[in-house]
Amino acid sequence: MATLEIDGRTFEVDGDGFLTDPSLWNEDVAKLFAKADGIELLNDNHWAIVNVIRKNFEENGNAPMVRTICKETGLKLKEIYDLFPLGPARGACRVAGLPKPDGCV
Amino acid sequence: MVTIDKEKREKALQILKNSNDSKLLTHLNACVRCGLCAGSCMYYLAMKDAKFIPARKVDLVTSIYRRYLTTQGKLMPALFNAKDLDDKMADEMVDLLFGGCTMCGRCVKHCSIGVDISYIVKKGREMLAAMDMVPKTLQSTVDAAINTGNNMGIPTEEFVDTIQWMEEELVDEMQDANARIPLDEQNKHIFYTLNPREPKFFPLSITAMAKVFYAAGESWTLSSKNYDVTNYGYFNGNNAEATQIARNLYDEVKNLHADVLVLGECGHGSRANRWEGPNYLKKEYEFENITAVELMAQYIREGRIKLDKSLNKELMTIHDPCNLIRNGGLLKEMRFVINSAAENVVEMNPYGNDNFCCGGGGGKLAMSEYNERRLKIGGIKAEQIKKTGAKVVITPCHNCVDQLVQINHTYKLGVQIKTIAEIVADALIIDKKQ
Repeated sequence: MATLEIDGRTFEVDGDGFLTDPSLWNEDVAKLFAKADGIELLNDNHWAIVNVIRKNFEENGNAPMVRTICKETGLKLKEIYDLFPLGPARGACRVAGLPKPDGCV
Repeated sequence: MVTIDKEKREKALQILKNSNDSKLLTHLNACVRCGLCAGSCMYYLAMKDAKFIPARKVDLVTSIYRRYLTTQGKLMPALFNAKDLDDKMADEMVDLLFGGCTMCGRCVKHCSIGVDISYIVKKGREMLAAMDMVPKTLQSTVDAAINTGNNMGIPTEEFVDTIQWMEEELVDEMQDANARIPLDEQNKHIFYTLNPREPKFFPLSITAMAKVFYAAGESWTLSSKNYDVTNYGYFNGNNAEATQIARNLYDEVKNLHADVLVLGECGHGSRANRWEGPNYLKKEYEFENITAVELMAQYIREGRIKLDKSLNKELMTIHDPCNLIRNGGLLKEMRFVINSAAENVVEMNPYGNDNFCCGGGGGKLAMSEYNERRLKIGGIKAEQIKKTGAKVVITPCHNCVDQLVQINHTYKLGVQIKTIAEIVADALIIDKKQ
């Protein structure tokens, strides 16, 4: 099992840097993971996306479609890609503490 | 920890005992150890560790063959470099055949006698699959495809919702209420396929292709259930699973009575369906089976779509997906399409059949276990891109796109990554039909 150290805190993660135990997630973890991706400060739009992803994960056990993220946050696709340059999966889902989605992402 | 008992070993050895496979026996026993393959392999170049030399990977499989299937190896294993298939050997195989090879086939082109090294690697993966030793993350991608019809487990209603959303975007963009993204329609000319990452996270490439179909006035459809162009069964070494996934797509094309199966921009999916599909199913496909790249080339040649390449002015470079170019023969066809759609295209060095893999091939993007290596070998691609000075990297493979996005971020390249449908859609001149 790999570990990831950010600002003196150590997290157990999978090889792709996704949190191994999603229940350990909290807002501080999100901030630290975002920082590791070069996002110094999570703004309201970042949080809106993270919260939709988190809610979907807690209710359905998986990452939402980007369609759901757009619908529930009112953001446009392009804005989501700009906010999380690594995309909804490797960018936003990782910050939201989800396991890595399967497939080519 | 998996323990290799006699029963497991026997299952793995069955793969090597297949007497119908003359290619396997020839290629297993042909390596002359010249070492030319070393400098062709991204893993060896990036890691500088001899275990990654392609000939060494072949030798893992060959040494097992010698140990159990040759007289010398049975009697005097040490003398003939024949090795037991034990726990240590199996772990080494997992590490190098799943974790240390993208099956890109660049070494095959450089091999002095043409040993099909990736084919042997694939046979090694089949042996590991027979022993239940497929990396967990890769297997879960295959399981999702088999259990749900797509490798990301997207429920049908969510897929349909996304497609309808993209259709609304298309209607807006074309300012034509009749612009469509048809679903489950029978007797259409074309059955189009997607990589599930498109509907799940990156749907703009769906609209881009829909725009191309719109401009060409094509009769086409998507299926709401079996639209997945990928087949990770090609990578996990389980041919029964690969066959099942290929059959699902084949059956759906037949159900909807389409004339042509068009494989969306996906390297391994194109290979697994177009070239391997008939082998998996042991039958010739009754419908035509082509890639989206070839279809767009046809449209351009026949004048069915018109492009203004001055609409793509930025300096662009091309990444050659291994399974479409080196292993798929689309070198010129792809460049014909790209050069028809973009004004300012520069090649990488090396390019075409000799280009490097993105680093995410062979199922690597699905295997978290080897993420660190994947990004490290991706450094070679990052250097290639940097040297071109291009601002956009074009590639007709969604798997490559994802790896390139990550490389872009990791190595701070500051480029955009686009599929071919996206640059073609950007260059389209749409005749307004009244």
